[in-house]
Amino acid sequence: MSKPKIATDWLAACAGCHMSLLDMDERLLQVLSLAELTSCPITDLKHPPHEGVEVGVLTGAVNSTTNIAVARMMRKRCKILVALGDCAVFGGIVNMRNYFDMQEALRCAYVETPSTVDGFVPASEELGRPVRARGVDQVVKVDVCLPGCPPSADAIFHVLSELAQGRIPVVAGETLKYD
Amino acid sequence: MSKVNLKINGKTVQAPAGSTILEAARLAEVDIPVLCHHPKLANLGSCRICLVEIARQPNLHPACTYPVFEGMEVQTESPRVVEMRKFVLDMLFSERNHHCMYCEMSGDCELQNLAYRYRMDRWSFPSPHPHMPVDATRKYFLLDHSRCILCRRCLRACSDLAANHTLGVKNRGADTMICADMDLSFGESSCVSCGTCLEVCPTGALVDRRSAYMGRTAEVQRVRSSCAACSLGCGVELVVRGGQVLRVESDWDRHNEGVLCVAGRFEPLEQTREKITRPLVRRDGQLQEATWVEALDALVSGLRQAAPGGIRAVTSGAVLSEGMNEFVNFFKGKMGVPVHLLEPALAGSELAADGGLKDVDAADFILVAGGDPLASHRVLGYRIKRAIDKGAEVWLVSGKETEMAHFAARCLGLAELDSAVAHCMESRSPVVVYGADLTAREAGRLARLRGKARFIPLAPSPNGHRAQVLGLEPAAGWAGAKALFVLLESALLQEGWLQEFRRPQFLAVYASCRSPLTDQADVVLPALQWYERQGTFINMEGRNVDVHQAVEPGGEGWSVQKLFDRLSGCMT
Repeated sequence: MSKPKIATDWLAACAGCHMSLLDMDERLLQVLSLAELTSCPITDLKHPPHEGVEVGVLTGAVNSTTNIAVARMMRKRCKILVALGDCAVFGGIVNMRNYFDMQEALRCAYVETPSTVDGFVPASEELGRPVRARGVDQVVKVDVCLPGCPPSADAIFHVLSELAQGRIPVVAGETLKYD
Repeated sequence: MSKVNLKINGKTVQAPAGSTILEAARLAEVDIPVLCHHPKLANLGSCRICLVEIARQPNLHPACTYPVFEGMEVQTESPRVVEMRKFVLDMLFSERNHHCMYCEMSGDCELQNLAYRYRMDRWSFPSPHPHMPVDATRKYFLLDHSRCILCRRCLRACSDLAANHTLGVKNRGADTMICADMDLSFGESSCVSCGTCLEVCPTGALVDRRSAYMGRTAEVQRVRSSCAACSLGCGVELVVRGGQVLRVESDWDRHNEGVLCVAGRFEPLEQTREKITRPLVRRDGQLQEATWVEALDALVSGLRQAAPGGIRAVTSGAVLSEGMNEFVNFFKGKMGVPVHLLEPALAGSELAADGGLKDVDAADFILVAGGDPLASHRVLGYRIKRAIDKGAEVWLVSGKETEMAHFAARCLGLAELDSAVAHCMESRSPVVVYGADLTAREAGRLARLRGKARFIPLAPSPNGHRAQVLGLEPAAGWAGAKALFVLLESALLQEGWLQEFRRPQFLAVYASCRSPLTDQADVVLPALQWYERQGTFINMEGRNVDVHQAVEPGGEGWSVQKLFDRLSGCMT
């Protein structure tokens, strides 16, 4: 039997969860001996393959129409979807934006920040439209949730190695942290 | 007391009749989770996290309010109970902002601990993200409504423990909010910043501004000690990390029962005075840093020049007993020098100090004479207000305007003391609280109540009782003093304490902080800071209370004992 395939992608994220994934260090090799990593935002191949993967991992909150499309694509192409990190699970720090009016938030980010010169709110057709921030499970069905900001390398190793061996991981005890 | 037999999770338990399921479970060492329950507060049953299953009853019931009965069978972690607890947690997390990642209390939060315990790895209900205000109008701590779970512990602490009745709730249902008075900001409200609510809050809704993000429970040490801000000697726990006192919390097992005041909890850490960390000696008219050897040399020669008749010594009543003893032994015993007390003393040394806070709880009549406990001994003041809530009558006899006057049933002038004494005689269990504004004659009139009432003195200095035992009294004047030694420590010199004071030829001050007095001195000896010293003092109940060193001395300060041990060696 060929090795199960894993694909990861990020939505509205700070990349910290993927840094924590790299933090597994030499245990990455153990995971790779059990499973094949087909695509990942920090490798050359960015998108999950059309033929699908066993495990899809999403980090970051859903924050724009692009995020919704990425989440739906991952859901379609994977059997088990993992929401990894507080933002993917709960909406996390991205949710703070919901306390403000969207136009106000955009103006603050693109125009009013002290370091911005001649700023404007980008409005290209190619860009996704911002939406209310939320966790991934409010857009697509999520099978495994691993909260944490970011989840520790130990927790990520636990989840990925369990999944690679065909088991649904139990997230509890030291593996379950919200910060 | 009759006992009731019941079973909790199949385990046979015998609990006193009338106790709650929660109390019985604690006897049986069965852990039932709680949020709105607090051991020192009345039970409310508002959070529903302690729901348990009782055999032959259709509904689940809160363990914190449900009384035990004979033959009761309780399940505390059955599948049905666990499912319901998860549901309750889901509801609590969905209400407001409970993102732990940017919360000050993360790691120390009772709500978070329960989410971990019940393995909450996702939220079943999306949060509506209501925009909640943060009230930061108070100097020492703030309230972030978005972290509040409306358990009302703060409210009960404010009413039942501190008896201040500032906190309440406004609106209904999901719009319910904790509010102060008639919906004022906390800064404008009747809040006295005693911080009792801050200490009982189970989440990150109430946050201490000074120690926020400076260390979680697992990273700090706790040193049990006593507050020396006044003569109550309230039990405190100093929260320490990396050689720094982060904050002061209360010791719930001591006579103050968890209540502190702003002077004990917050103000000691708001030190704005410059610390004295090295000995200073005046050379060419300027105070200059010196070694201890140089400072002791200067001190010895200054004292010798004034000896024998020109030396006077004065100590603050804030100095701990061990130091005060040593000081009196040295000056009075060895040198034959009169020793005085810096702070004013209470008139009426013939009056007893036989009452305590427990007596206030049990009193039906409290006579407050010649003082204002709400200004000088606040925790006692709160306790008196608590007694008023329970039906005690308070009469105030004072020549001044006082805070206590708002709560007293009758306010009399000092001339009407006799009618208050007469009323006291007719009471069942009266308590007399007397302060420094009484003259010896008025104190004499109170003395008629000896044997009838319990007496609580409002000593103007924390260790005034020890000073009284040692026979120290304020000096009438300083004429003829050539050399003066002031054992000031951390006391803040107030007007009128050094009456008719004129700088003598030689002035030595032992102090922890710079003040106008140390600026005039010829020799300044660095004292230990309040959190660096170790010893005891006699509180207003006449009991010895311990003060423990919380951190190692940061400067070159010496304890009083060490100072006079070395000085004795130099003077012989």
